[in-house]
Amino acid sequence: MSKLPDNTPTQPKAEHGTLASYVIGFILSLVFTAIPYYLVVTKTVTGNALLATILTFAVLQMAVQIFFFLHLGRGPKPLYNVAFFVSTVGIILVVVLGSIFIMDHLNYNIMMAPKATTTKLAQDEGIAQVGGEKTGACADIGTNHQVIVQNGQMKPLRVEAHLCDSLTFINQDAATLTIMFGSYAKPENYGGEIGVSVRSGRTKTITLNQLGTHAFHDHLHPGATSYFTVTKNNGVY
Amino acid sequence: MKEFLIGKLSMEALPHEWFTIGGSAFFGSLVIFLIILLTVTKRWGWLWKEWLTSVDPKKIGIMYFIVAGFMLIARGGLEALMMWLQQALGSSDMPGFLGATHGYLSAEHFQQIFTAHGNIMVFFVAMGFIFGLINYIVPLQIGARDLASPFLNTLGFWLFVAGVVMVNMFFFVGGEYAATGWLAVAPLSGAEFSPGTGMDYLIWSLQISGIGTTLGAINFIMTILRMRAPGMTLWKMPAFTWSSLCSMIMAVTVFPLLTATLFLIFFDRYFDTHFFTTTLGGNAMMYTNLIWMWGHPEVYILVLPAYGLFTEIVSTFSRKRIANYTSNIIGMIGVSLFALSVWLHHFFTMGAGADINAFFGVMTMFIAIPTTVLVFTWIATMRGGRIRFTTPMLWFLGFIAVFTFGGVTGVMLAIPPADFQFHNSLFLVAHFHSNVIGGVLFGVFAGISYWFPKMAGFRLNERIGRYAFWCWMIGFSLSFIPMYIVGLMGATRRLDTYDAASGWQPFYVLMLIGGIVIAVGVALQLVQIIASVIQKRRLHDATGDPWEGRSLEWSVSSPAPSYNFATIPKVTTRDAYWEMKQQGMPARTYEDIRMPKNTASGIYISFFAFLVGFGLVWHINWLAIVSLIGVIGCVIVRTFNDDTEYTITAAEVEKMEEARVAKAKALHAEKDTGPDEDMGLIEFVKIAITWALNVIRTRQWRNR
Amino acid sequence: MAESVVTGELNHEAEVNDRVMFGFWVYLMTDLLMFAVLFAVYAVLHGNTVGGPTGSELFSQPQALAETLILLTSSFTCGIGMIAARRGNKNQVLAWFTLTFLLGVAFLSLELLEFGELIHEGYTLSSNAFLSSFSVLVGTHGLHIISGLFWMFVTLLYILVRGLNRQLVRKLALLSLFWHFLDIVWIFIFTIVYLMAYV
Repeated sequence: MSKLPDNTPTQPKAEHGTLASYVIGFILSLVFTAIPYYLVVTKTVTGNALLATILTFAVLQMAVQIFFFLHLGRGPKPLYNVAFFVSTVGIILVVVLGSIFIMDHLNYNIMMAPKATTTKLAQDEGIAQVGGEKTGACADIGTNHQVIVQNGQMKPLRVEAHLCDSLTFINQDAATLTIMFGSYAKPENYGGEIGVSVRSGRTKTITLNQLGTHAFHDHLHPGATSYFTVTKNNGVY
Repeated sequence: MKEFLIGKLSMEALPHEWFTIGGSAFFGSLVIFLIILLTVTKRWGWLWKEWLTSVDPKKIGIMYFIVAGFMLIARGGLEALMMWLQQALGSSDMPGFLGATHGYLSAEHFQQIFTAHGNIMVFFVAMGFIFGLINYIVPLQIGARDLASPFLNTLGFWLFVAGVVMVNMFFFVGGEYAATGWLAVAPLSGAEFSPGTGMDYLIWSLQISGIGTTLGAINFIMTILRMRAPGMTLWKMPAFTWSSLCSMIMAVTVFPLLTATLFLIFFDRYFDTHFFTTTLGGNAMMYTNLIWMWGHPEVYILVLPAYGLFTEIVSTFSRKRIANYTSNIIGMIGVSLFALSVWLHHFFTMGAGADINAFFGVMTMFIAIPTTVLVFTWIATMRGGRIRFTTPMLWFLGFIAVFTFGGVTGVMLAIPPADFQFHNSLFLVAHFHSNVIGGVLFGVFAGISYWFPKMAGFRLNERIGRYAFWCWMIGFSLSFIPMYIVGLMGATRRLDTYDAASGWQPFYVLMLIGGIVIAVGVALQLVQIIASVIQKRRLHDATGDPWEGRSLEWSVSSPAPSYNFATIPKVTTRDAYWEMKQQGMPARTYEDIRMPKNTASGIYISFFAFLVGFGLVWHINWLAIVSLIGVIGCVIVRTFNDDTEYTITAAEVEKMEEARVAKAKALHAEKDTGPDEDMGLIEFVKIAITWALNVIRTRQWRNR
Repeated sequence: MAESVVTGELNHEAEVNDRVMFGFWVYLMTDLLMFAVLFAVYAVLHGNTVGGPTGSELFSQPQALAETLILLTSSFTCGIGMIAARRGNKNQVLAWFTLTFLLGVAFLSLELLEFGELIHEGYTLSSNAFLSSFSVLVGTHGLHIISGLFWMFVTLLYILVRGLNRQLVRKLALLSLFWHFLDIVWIFIFTIVYLMAYV
């Protein structure tokens, strides 16, 4: 047990905080909390931009608290603490982003029947022929057609396209859009997929690699069924 | 009411199969024998004070060796032999006994054996030996007296022991172990498909010892980064210390991932969550992803200390400095960095697609680069040196042969399209055993034979050591070269029976013979130790420096005093002790030494931790809660205990040093006539038979 | 002689102090990594609602903001308490840390209310993967808060009875490290769980 007076300082002054540092840290943290909250609640920014913004503010607030509350970088031999912190952040990014990256691919690839998976993989990698057999994949993409969804309505209701064109669904609604191929009563497959899911404010594009007239509908608001017709290019396929 | 009191425990949980009866009889009689021995020799107090509550890293290191060695022989190695025997007998044209269709192990039992074999070898044998080595040697190498936190050290050890007890508990209560493979992949390991308690034993034994490992790793990092002798900058540290630092930084990084993942599968089983279930949104593949994020760096955690100690062994026995210290260390750091970015190569076939597989395949192949740098520095160190083929050097050469096999087959496996053929075949099993046995285990054997004189005060018998080494090499080749071949022929792993038409049986028989040769090798290692004890006067290490070493551990007596160094050395260069030998030893100045007191809190906390796990295995909720309170209570008592150190005054230190020197002079050591004159096997057998007959005749086990 | 013993003591204490703080920092990094796994699991599984309600339908934005502000304030009061501790002012330490404790309890109460409501409506951690990953992520943070509060309680009791000394100041320093770190983790829970649900 120590016999020294209680108020003998234990460490050189630099390592721990002053009132100023805590107050500044507190105010900055308040600001960095308020701004993303406000942005999300009022929806002034949306989609990927909003995501990036609030994550940036989270990282900024973390930096503020690390420096002003935890005093990282000050005191004797700060290098080790900083080094450990930075490497931990790195590993966290590997763990979180790596998992998202891997699991996303895994999920994507297991959703379909084997034959459809093969078709889809061939499409993704632009493999038009295997051993003389055509896979049906498109080597080049033609024109892009767009279907805009707003207020539950799809515009245009009918799309005319050629083989190996692309079709983009644009979701301008507030909710996530679930497009299923076929009609509501009779769902179908197209190009190996049962449908596409489009988050609010985002788009999804599919390659039109199958001929014929195909239906699609909004699965959560089954109203009108829309169609796209894929016809042959003259002479190419 | 009964369910509240004893959860899922019932009469069925008691041993009633041949292996649970056999296992509990064996362990039970061992415990009873030890109790009787300690009582008759009145050694309880000595055991408690000198060993169990000790916080001396040297003692804790030895205890790790004993527990790890015991688990190697009594569980892991025995299970390997059992599996080889079953596979040799498992052809479809063979009869079946004891409930098996062919051979003598039923499919369920075989599954439990390979699961237990993997868990025990990785967590309790390899980690135990590695922790033992780091505990003993690193403080001596950096000129420190103890680890940064002696309390965390003993706590880590006893949590490890709690894990060991937990993994053996099913013999007594439960009757089954997990049958899921050593990593217990979901959904097989979930509540739906593994409803028994075996899987819960797996979870808690790994969880408790894993927490011990994390705490131990924090401790080692604190020690290496904060407690080096004055003048020893990072770039002057010995290679083994560097490798331990890299390994422990990796451990501290990835063991939390294991802890979290085990908690998640525990929640799935206990609280019916849906992380890895097949229904209600669970994603079993996430388990595989997370567990391998831990699993891959784990094998590098195990092998890096081996790399470090091989560097030292090569340098000492080539009588040369390490050829290129910087490259060597950068190689180790490179391996550590890359190890954290390759985990997907364990599940190329799970379906992530070509892009992801390509990335991880390339990263896996990259690891070969820093590893090769290491091998080249070793070769360069040997070149131009005057090599002495002592047993540690033999183990190093064995490592080069075996580990290289493992390494190049690893590069083959790293190619995703090729891996679609190799995955989960015996080719894979042979690959990782080449690395783990050739790398980690041979490293441990080399390290123990190298540092044995420092730990015990006399060196090991070289002749029998050589026999043991060759048994291991021949046995390993007989076991694993056929395994590579039959793996390429299509044999998958974890097979208990197979079609007779496949033509694999002769290979399995060869593997069994190889396994028996390895077992002979292990027996010879035990004989080696006993023979060395018998001849210890002749093999006595008088100077503390039997090999002409270069690092600080050789500057103290063998064995080292409890405070390691009477005077903390001042370091000016790499190979600090070599420098001291050239410049002349520093003058002896004595100062007061603060030493940590022994403590039983590690034992108490681990005991309660064990009970928490046991309670959760059997759904005895009140036991889990009460024991958790026990853990917290003991932690609070310990952290608020300010009286944890005592001082050895300078005068006392001086007296102890003088007494030690006098004792060494007075010891009538025989002359060491060299390794070729060490006791041979025949002589040992003669001595053993004579002793046994003597004991029977005189009823006294030792002359007094 | 007495003086060199005293400076010897001080040096040894400073060394031990430095070691303990560093070791605890390393431990906090391991805790962060455990949370990383929980975040990764949430990121992967949060969409698996199996037809059930998503986060935007279950969470209350104002409540989440309140929790965030309360915890942030408690982190601030904890810091002020540490300044008082280094000055050796026992009464101020007790005051500021009690305030921190009360704010922590307030945070916890709001969180328990939230979970209580969810369970009442039938959304438990075994309902689907989203709720499992949400409950375990937020729940683990909550368990850490409970541990911190318990630690605070025991330490404050000790200070009340025995008075402040250097070992206790060190314990408070470790506790405040832990408490600040919990607030940092909460920033990410707030952002990734509560805010991102509405993006």
